[in-house]
Amino acid sequence: MSDVKISGLHKTFGQVHVLKGIDLEIPAGEFTVLVGPSGCGKSTLLRTIAGLEEVEQGNILIAGVNVNTLRPRDRNIAMVFQNYALYPYLNVFENIAFGLRARKMPDSEVRSRVHFAAEMLGITGLLDRLPRELSGGQRQRVAIGRAIVRKAQLFLFDEPLSNLDAQLRDEMRGEIKRLHQDLGITMIYVTHDQIEAMTLADKIVLMRGGVIEQMGAPLTIYERPANRFVAGFLGSPKMNFILGDVINRGSSHAMLLTDGETIPLPQRSGGWGQSIVLGIRPQHLERSEPITSVNEVRLKRTIEIVQPTGSRTYITINIGGAQCIAETESMEIGRPGELIELSFDLSHAVFFDPISGAALV
Amino acid sequence: MTYAPRAKHESTVSRQSTRMPDHNFRYWIIAPSVFLLLLIGLFPLIYSLVVSFQQITMTDYDTSFAGLDNYLHLFEDARLWQSIAHTLVITVIALPLELLFGLAMAHLFLEKMPGRQIFISLIVLPTVISPVVAGATWRLLFDQRYGPINQVISWLAGHEVVLLWNITPHLVYPAILICEIWQWTPFMFLILLAALSNVDKSLTEAAELDGAGFWRIFFKIVLPAIWPVMAIAILIRGVDLFKIFDVIWALTSGGPGTMTETVSIYTYVQGFQQFETSYTAAIAFLIVGLMSMVVIWAIRRMGLAK
Repeated sequence: MSDVKISGLHKTFGQVHVLKGIDLEIPAGEFTVLVGPSGCGKSTLLRTIAGLEEVEQGNILIAGVNVNTLRPRDRNIAMVFQNYALYPYLNVFENIAFGLRARKMPDSEVRSRVHFAAEMLGITGLLDRLPRELSGGQRQRVAIGRAIVRKAQLFLFDEPLSNLDAQLRDEMRGEIKRLHQDLGITMIYVTHDQIEAMTLADKIVLMRGGVIEQMGAPLTIYERPANRFVAGFLGSPKMNFILGDVINRGSSHAMLLTDGETIPLPQRSGGWGQSIVLGIRPQHLERSEPITSVNEVRLKRTIEIVQPTGSRTYITINIGGAQCIAETESMEIGRPGELIELSFDLSHAVFFDPISGAALV
Repeated sequence: MTYAPRAKHESTVSRQSTRMPDHNFRYWIIAPSVFLLLLIGLFPLIYSLVVSFQQITMTDYDTSFAGLDNYLHLFEDARLWQSIAHTLVITVIALPLELLFGLAMAHLFLEKMPGRQIFISLIVLPTVISPVVAGATWRLLFDQRYGPINQVISWLAGHEVVLLWNITPHLVYPAILICEIWQWTPFMFLILLAALSNVDKSLTEAAELDGAGFWRIFFKIVLPAIWPVMAIAILIRGVDLFKIFDVIWALTSGGPGTMTETVSIYTYVQGFQQFETSYTAAIAFLIVGLMSMVVIWAIRRMGLAK
């Protein structure tokens, strides 16, 4: 178990500035997920920690040791690659044992460690097979087994589940989480999938364009996004954004939508700007119930699209010129063209500056 | 009413008649090319097989059959077996060196570097040159009076050094090998560069993270991955080296004496300087037999047939 400290990390590929000053602290034993759209630099950051990319500027400390100039093999890191990177000419046993043999471990120790890992992952019956004779999920287990036996101080995962089908992905996600709980090793996990990020992470590091947009516990980021990008990235279906002008209504402010609707705004110390973006998650746009709270906003709209998923139904409506999705109970399915009355609690709404995208508190 | 069934009957007949010749038709289609291939491939082979049992020389008209005389003579012909030995020596030394140099160079050029493309094109140039031209060029380079090689050696030694590269017995083989390796290492380089750059990079990265050193990664990961391509390169170069002619002909013409006479040169000498046509055909068949055995063995051994 080791902690990782990264400070002022920069990386360029030719003309492209991939990492622009990354500062990140990962406490020992924590499961950190680096998430962001493709090209945000998350994989590069992971590969730099592994030593597969050189540090140009800044420092990486693992367990207090500066590893900037250490070769990958001297960093005692295990990594699971996106394509599994199993050695095609070695059988499963030798694949898992490769790192141990490279470190000249006695044969009996190699044997017991490989069997321990194989048992843990349920691949004991596959040990004498070649990688090409395995299914995607089995390969994934072997790749993880190869990492486990090493007893490395740090585990890195580079989008390990993206090549699996949806069902297997859910299953392996659970196993990786269990693995982390059992082993308690510091893990850094890269994904572009926000569900993986939310479910696995102790801490999410959300990146875009080579910078960290926000980091913190999954639910904290989910509830209190620092900006519109973060708010839109986490959650599925994504958060609805509605643009409107701020108007004065006596002592309080309200938001005037393009379709003439007004939404009262909460009191704010700093005052509001000219216009504003209101963010509300689909599950907070509810079908109106008779009970009303003080903060409730009611809207009557025409249903445009209905998408049932089984447990929940997504209803597309138009609010203030923006296509919005409301996530409702499946029982309440309406039909396109029908009117529906929806309401949301203003305390669930997040407001953003329309230009900078920053959240307004 | 009477018309319809008839039409139906006709259509089945015509369908049958188009399907029936189908089976033989495909053979007719490939027949011309097969015939052509047999003509240019098999006919000379059979013709020379026949010739090898005759006693044709280019100096008289006797074409009577000689039975196995030519083949029996092969075993008494010390010069032939020496030429085979010379060929093997050149092959056994040049092939591993070309492979090693090619591999090392390919490895160096895997990394991105400025001017990489230009360097690769320049390195490959020798392979593009005709071997006779390469041999002639090296003959000039090795020339004891005008050649730059002796001149450079003289500078390095500090006094005049005269090395007779294509005459002195202990220098002729080095001269031939230098020229041969210079010309064909790029071939290995190019093929192995392609093979190496196709090795999945995440495999070597994973091995690196697993703690493996350079040699372990090379022998356990890289070599198995490039082996199919490398084996073919070895096979091609091996067969080529066994047939080596032009370079030696240009450099030493097989001399001094018969010291650098290879199988190809000896066959040529027998056929076109001694005019022993039938005996030459027998030599050719011996070589074809030997080579076929070696190549088939090599293909099996290297697992290329799989």
